[in-house]
Amino acid sequence: MNKQGNLAAVALALALGAGGARAQSPGLTIGAVYVGSVNDYGYNRSFHDALTQVCKDLPGARLLEAENVPESAEVERVMEGMIQQGARLVFPTSFGYQDSARRVAKRHKDVAFEFAGDGPTARNFGVFFGSTQAAWYPMGVAAGKMTRSGKLGFVIGMPIGYALGNVNAFEMGARSVNPRATTTVVVTGGWSDKAKEAGAANALLDQGCDVVAMHVDSPTTIIQTVEARGAMSIGFQSVEARALAPKGWITGLGFNWAPFITKEAKAVMANKFQGEAVYQGLGEMVVMAPFGASVPPDVQALVNAAAAKVAKGYNPFTGPLKDNLGRQELPPGATIGADQMGGLNWYVEGVIGKVK
Amino acid sequence: MPEATRLRSLRATPAWRTGTRGAAVCALALAVFAAILLVAGKDPVRACADTFKATLASGYGLSELLVRMTPLLLTAVAVALPSRLGLINVGGEGQLYLGAWLASAGALAFPSWPAWALLPLVLVLGFLGGALWAAIPGLLRAARLVNETIATLLLNYVAPLIVSYYVFGPWRSTESSAYPQSAAFADAALLPPLFDTRVHAGLFIALAALGCYWLLMEKTRWGVDMRAIGGNPEAARRLGLPVRTWIVAALALGGGLAGLAGMGEAMGIHGRLREGLSPGYGFTGFLISWLAGGRPLGILFMAFLFAILTAAGDTLQITQGLPYSAINILLALILFIVLARRPARGGGR
Amino acid sequence: MTTPLALGVLAGAVLSGTSLLYATLGETLGERAGIVNLGLEGIMLLGASTGFALCAVSGSPWLGLGGAALAGGLANLGFGWLVVARRANQLASGLAMLFFSLGASALVGAPHMGAVIRGLPKWRPAFLAALPWVRGTTLFNYDLLIWIAVPVAVLVWWALFRTRWGLGIRAVGESPAAAYASGRNPAALQYQALAAGGVLGGLAGAHLSLSLTLTWAEYMTSGRGFIAIALVIFSKWRPLRAVAGALLFGGAEALQLQLQARGAEVSPFLLEMCPYLLTILVLLAWGGSRRFFAPAALGRTFYGPD
Repeated sequence: MNKQGNLAAVALALALGAGGARAQSPGLTIGAVYVGSVNDYGYNRSFHDALTQVCKDLPGARLLEAENVPESAEVERVMEGMIQQGARLVFPTSFGYQDSARRVAKRHKDVAFEFAGDGPTARNFGVFFGSTQAAWYPMGVAAGKMTRSGKLGFVIGMPIGYALGNVNAFEMGARSVNPRATTTVVVTGGWSDKAKEAGAANALLDQGCDVVAMHVDSPTTIIQTVEARGAMSIGFQSVEARALAPKGWITGLGFNWAPFITKEAKAVMANKFQGEAVYQGLGEMVVMAPFGASVPPDVQALVNAAAAKVAKGYNPFTGPLKDNLGRQELPPGATIGADQMGGLNWYVEGVIGKVK
Repeated sequence: MPEATRLRSLRATPAWRTGTRGAAVCALALAVFAAILLVAGKDPVRACADTFKATLASGYGLSELLVRMTPLLLTAVAVALPSRLGLINVGGEGQLYLGAWLASAGALAFPSWPAWALLPLVLVLGFLGGALWAAIPGLLRAARLVNETIATLLLNYVAPLIVSYYVFGPWRSTESSAYPQSAAFADAALLPPLFDTRVHAGLFIALAALGCYWLLMEKTRWGVDMRAIGGNPEAARRLGLPVRTWIVAALALGGGLAGLAGMGEAMGIHGRLREGLSPGYGFTGFLISWLAGGRPLGILFMAFLFAILTAAGDTLQITQGLPYSAINILLALILFIVLARRPARGGGR
Repeated sequence: MTTPLALGVLAGAVLSGTSLLYATLGETLGERAGIVNLGLEGIMLLGASTGFALCAVSGSPWLGLGGAALAGGLANLGFGWLVVARRANQLASGLAMLFFSLGASALVGAPHMGAVIRGLPKWRPAFLAALPWVRGTTLFNYDLLIWIAVPVAVLVWWALFRTRWGLGIRAVGESPAAAYASGRNPAALQYQALAAGGVLGGLAGAHLSLSLTLTWAEYMTSGRGFIAIALVIFSKWRPLRAVAGALLFGGAEALQLQLQARGAEVSPFLLEMCPYLLTILVLLAWGGSRRFFAPAALGRTFYGPD
């Protein structure tokens, strides 16, 4: 390490020592657990990129990563292992890690946890996520304008409330510019079952959908399948995926976790960590991808306007809203906030699909 | 000289021979694995040290070894028991899932029962679930319709689908963003943990099962008869023994034990029913039983070995960035060496 | 323009059934010689990861395909050495192979995960593309492996039932002792069958990574190897029936996705059970006379000391 690094480390150690904390190592050790590979051009990569960046920026910080950890009993062991290696801030990034993460957090009150999901918080257990739902509204606007057949497709991995919310906002955005647009949903049953994703994309295209969006861990298989058949795609989880669809890319959503992670890491280092529920939307944790070459300027303007509306606080989930079975789910004036999105269990009018 | 004689007679015992042979196999496999690690750019010595630290050098590590061993012991006996009749049970996975499923059905149906009623209920249901699932291939084999190897293998994949169906559908919990899993079981249905670890009462069930298996094989007439006949149904039939009943019973008993493993995972570790309960415990149990020759003490030792190996896999991923799957190579190397050494005894078991 | 359900399912069945077919054909060869390989899943994984890695490194999917075939063949030969030369228990050896391949494929594929590859090129003859119900679908727009899938099945059938070599393989599968007595070399024949079977298994895996999904993920075969083992039984160890079986089993997966895309409610899990349940039912229907269909020496492993 160079002189500045050393000085920083010593300063940090002194600061920690002054705060009365157990300074095990001069820098912060962060542990991250991923359900897939960090090279997935998608969800896991977004965390990997952000965490690596943060660890580069923070002096003395160290990153421990475990990939391909299934949502099973293994997770607890992995997190414990990281804590044994000195991790003081742990990111269980996949939804199904929740139970295990909470148990480990109870056992290690001096380790901070930031869970990518929802649920109750504790002093050392915070939850966070990007509120993607509202951000899908401008995506729907883009799809609604670009579709020629009026049929949009959406592939989701697991039918959880957040995914349903994404679909709903997408459809509402599409309907706002194209009243006859429909969104057909296919569920693959897993966050990254590649063969099923290809099959799902093909099935949607067979049905006449010409724009396909997705909520799975990695958009690559779906985008590549769709591109090969000459249809258009809207990406999710990573803005880099647009490289895969030079012709058909419309736009997409990605995540920018780095500012939030930096803030929490600094809090841990200053011993001021307090678990909270943090949901940020478009413009903060959620970012919009650049437009594809085929998107005309007037569509871009419409989409940007919708995005600006959302960033200023527009919530598409405002009643009255009917579900796709005709029942009224939201009375006039009622809203669904980001913290309630997890409990969503219906599809909005215009979505073709059944919530199992 | 008395010392030399004693040493010679010690070295002649089967335990010594098996022990040294086992040690030699492990050493060879470790050497090859270390070479592979070096080629992959990792540090084998550090890997060893890290594994030791993570498993044997800490209370948590030891407790996690026991957590890993619990289902392995049960699935291994699930294979060993029928193997005494020459039956091959590769269906541990499926029996495990079905035991978990049936036990969950009970826990979800009677959440208000007190622990002294609910816990025995889920235990019985867990056993029954696995037993029924194995009885199907047992009946098919007894009726000489379908071989149990194929039947248990095929049913392996049906059982997790049944669990998935219920977890995505009728039993899906509405709490916490509707992630596909069942509602959390009432505390009364959960297997009590030991101290502050994840080791749960299932461990005692597993050890008891192992003990019963030993008793059955060594001390009962049935067990002795079985060993004598050595899995030859013709001889058994000529002796007038009720072979068909025994086939179904042996498979059902074995399946029931695997079902208890599933119940243990659901009630002892997760506290609810969900997908992914078993990372291949059924198949690992088959290999453990096979490596141990179906002997109870061997099963105990092999389960312990496998627990350490899987723990090593976790550790290596965190400390060296090796994919967890890579540890399967070490497992396979041990198996290869054993397989390559043993000459077949009339077709092998 | 929407595709009718039947066509959509057929199209999906062809895509997902191709790798099943190759794996089934490979396993059929081995089982005809009297050897069952429970580690077929592993052979497929090795093919998938080797193929993907080579393609990512070299940019050529053909090199990847060749590498996958080679990897599968070599791995199956290793398995063959255990069961033929060392006379090891076939089931345990197969599972050992499975574990090894899980790890080896992960190691091979890990550095290349996320690489974007070109994949196998697809061709569609112009006269077919002009047909109204074909245009816009995936029908007949296939890569090499799909185009030659049925010819390969015919080739395997021809090899097994119309050549002296095939006769030898089947003889070994019925009774190694009798084959030896008639002047054949059972061990050599078994190795040959396993080598060919391994090549096919490797190609099966390569199709998944180089064509269907254009990616590599650990354990991406998701149990297809075991479905293939069931399919071998289901098709009575006959390569031509395997084609129909692969379409059927592949269709089950395609069906549930196609139905979802039409807004129909069907449980994917119930559909996915079908291949296994069908196979058991078929075995029941044969009513215990499976001896007439299965190679007899295979019996000793599969059917026990009856």
